[in-house]
This record gives sequence, C-alpha cells and structure tokens, in this order.
Amino acid sequence: MAETSTAQQMLDQEMIARIGRRDQSAFSALYDRLSGPLYSLAMKMLGDPAEAQDALQDVFLQIWSRAATYDPEQSSVFSWTVLLTRSRVIDRLRARGRRSRVVVASTEDTPTGAPDASTVESAADTVEKNDEAARVRYVLNNLPSEQREAIELAFFEHLSHHEIAARLGQPLGTVKARIRRGLLKLRQRLNNL
Amino acid sequence: MISEEQQDQASLYALGLLDADEDAAFESELRANAELRDLVRELREAGGDLALTAPSLLPPASLKQRIMGEIALETKRVVPMPTRRASFGWVPWAIAAALAVFCGLLALDRVRLERQLADIRAADPLMQTTFYTLAPSAPAPADAKATVAWQPGRQSGVIRISNLPAAQPGKDYQLWAVDAEHKDPISAGIIRVDKNGVAQVRFKPVEKAEHVKAFAISLEREGGVPKKEGPILLVGTT
Repeated sequence: MAETSTAQQMLDQEMIARIGRRDQSAFSALYDRLSGPLYSLAMKMLGDPAEAQDALQDVFLQIWSRAATYDPEQSSVFSWTVLLTRSRVIDRLRARGRRSRVVVASTEDTPTGAPDASTVESAADTVEKNDEAARVRYVLNNLPSEQREAIELAFFEHLSHHEIAARLGQPLGTVKARIRRGLLKLRQRLNNL
Repeated sequence: MISEEQQDQASLYALGLLDADEDAAFESELRANAELRDLVRELREAGGDLALTAPSLLPPASLKQRIMGEIALETKRVVPMPTRRASFGWVPWAIAAALAVFCGLLALDRVRLERQLADIRAADPLMQTTFYTLAPSAPAPADAKATVAWQPGRQSGVIRISNLPAAQPGKDYQLWAVDAEHKDPISAGIIRVDKNGVAQVRFKPVEKAEHVKAFAISLEREGGVPKKEGPILLVGTT
C-alpha cells in the first residue's frame, strides 16, 4: 500500500486508540496528518469549499465518536477515513439531488490557502506525502485508459457500475471486469513499488 | 481460491458500489471466507490510495478550531452537571453523612482510576515508543537518513531508511542497537534497501536491549556479522 508506511500505520492505529479514549491531543495530531488529503478528496468530489469543509467537519466528528469501533483488520486508518469521507460526501451529493458532480479537472498539485502553524505540515511530511501521491498517480496513469476511466468514475463520481455502463455505452460485465482488473493491477503495482 | 465473480464483487464492494441487498449478501460471504476478506482489505487500501490523486489542497485553519471546539463542547456535555440546589437547611447532619460517604467513594474511585491509568499506560504502545533519528556519517551519502520507532516493552521496532544506495555485491547493511548495559552493539539484523534506496522493516535485536541509547547501521560482510566490523553509515539517538 502506498499511502501509509508500516511505521505510519502503527502510529495511526495508536492515535485512533488514544482518540477512542477521548485524547484530544491525539485527535489534533491525526487531524493535522489527514485533513489535507481528505479535504482534497472532498473538494474533488464536491467542488465547493464550504460544502467540502462541512463534510470534513462531519468526518472528523465521526472519527472522534467512532474511533473506538475502528477495526484494523478491515482497513488501515487512512483507508477507513477515506471511506468515511466518501460516504459523507455522497450523502451531500444525494442531498443536492443531482447526479452531475463538479470534478476538479486539474490533476496538478495546487495547494491553496495560507495554512497557519496548526495545519501546516513539516517539510519532510509534505515531501513524503507528495512523493506517495506521485507514486499513486504514476500507477493510476499507467493503467489501461479504459480501466482507469472506470475506476475514476466509480471512485470520484460515485457512479454505480450500472451508471458507468450507461455512461460509457458498455455492457455491465465489461465495466465490472474493467473495475476489477484495474483495481487489482493498482493494488499489485502499488505493492511492488 | 477466489473466483472471478467474487473478485468482481470484492472490487465493487471495496469501492462502495454494491446496493444494499448485494452488500448484505457479499458481507455474509465475507464472514465465511478469510481469503476474500484479505482481498477486500487490499482492494480497499488501493481504493483509499486513489484519494491521493486528488489535487492537493489544505482546509482553512479556522476549520480545525471549529472542530476542536465541537469536540471540547461535546466532552463537557457528557460530564453530568449538578443541577439540584441544596434547599433543605434542616439537614446538616445528613450533609455531613453524605460527605463522609462521598469521601469514601472518592477514595475508592481514586484507587479504581489509578488502576485504569496503569492499564492504559501498559496498553498504550505510543507511550512506550521511542523514536530515534539516524543521520549519515561518511561514507554514506549526505542525504541518507533513517528513523527508528522502538518499543522496549516488546523488544521490537520498525526502521525506515531512505536515500541509501544498495550495498555493493558481497556486502550487507546491518542494524545495531547500542545498549547502555552491553559492551558491544547488539545486532538487530540485516537490512536491504530497494532500488530507490528505501527500506522499511520490522526488527528484533538478537539480545535483550532494555536501555538503548542509539541505533546505528554499518556496512558488513554479506549475511551479517555477530560483532560490528565495518564502518558506521548512519547513527542516531532520540
């Protein structure tokens, strides 16, 4: 897995355990580590800063209230929080009552805003995170385009496999196979990097 | 053996694309199939990593303040506030008796809390983890670095190395724990870096190391040596 090294996963799990015991300093540290990528995901799916911030607030309040139920057997802390974020964002998209998502077109890193000392990452963390992001992007960009397209539609636009099939004009079985093959390749290549 | 259809379902499940009925059916299949659970976990991790491909942004600092304020409020709310007023002035003896009982309960509570605190300390790995930052010394490249997360209670740790070129043929890097109670550094195993100069491994010293002052990496003969012989490339304390 690319995002979280083993040492980082250990630290994340320990922080979640402490948050489960109502440790606000652990919560603050986890926020500093994860708020950037989770906010970026919410922004990519929602395209609206105010809504993305509200979604992120919901996510972190969920982390605070549900930390004790986190199960490391099911996913890493990072993947768990990504799932929570997608779920909150999807709720908001449904509430909007429309299927058309505003997807940020750019794939370049464009940090914005002026983070203060409470949110700014150490230079080393930033470099490491960008490095990981570059690796995932590299692997994703090197998947066959039809597989990448199916995965991105599923992950960022949260189209169901039926909707993806309709959007791409492909049989349902083909779409399922593209998602499966793409995701399996992604997993394998990230593990090998 | 996982069928292609199961892999299809696992991929859709990992991305949250199954509808409620399919979800429930797949979860019951998952409960009975450990191999399938492993696959779902890995697919979830790969799916989670996709989030990193979103253009990198930071939320405003005010959001953190808002969230921290919310949880501080919530924490206060769960502490019950006394609301009854002592309006019965005719019960000083009752109050005295209640105080006595209260003091007794406090004493009992203190014992219980002290036990809980001891349990928490024993169970919290972060409170038992020490971090060591290893800096390069010649002949290692100037940008080589390593971090060790060491848990003395478990006598194990994790090391992450970066920017260290692969050892030349016939040589290996070896990790050492420098312990105050041992004359010689204790071997913690061979470490091999990948083509990018990165390694991340769990390790366990060959002998008990309860007072580790530093960790070091040296260049040794292939397969490692029982006692350090080669040059130190990286070394660091807490």
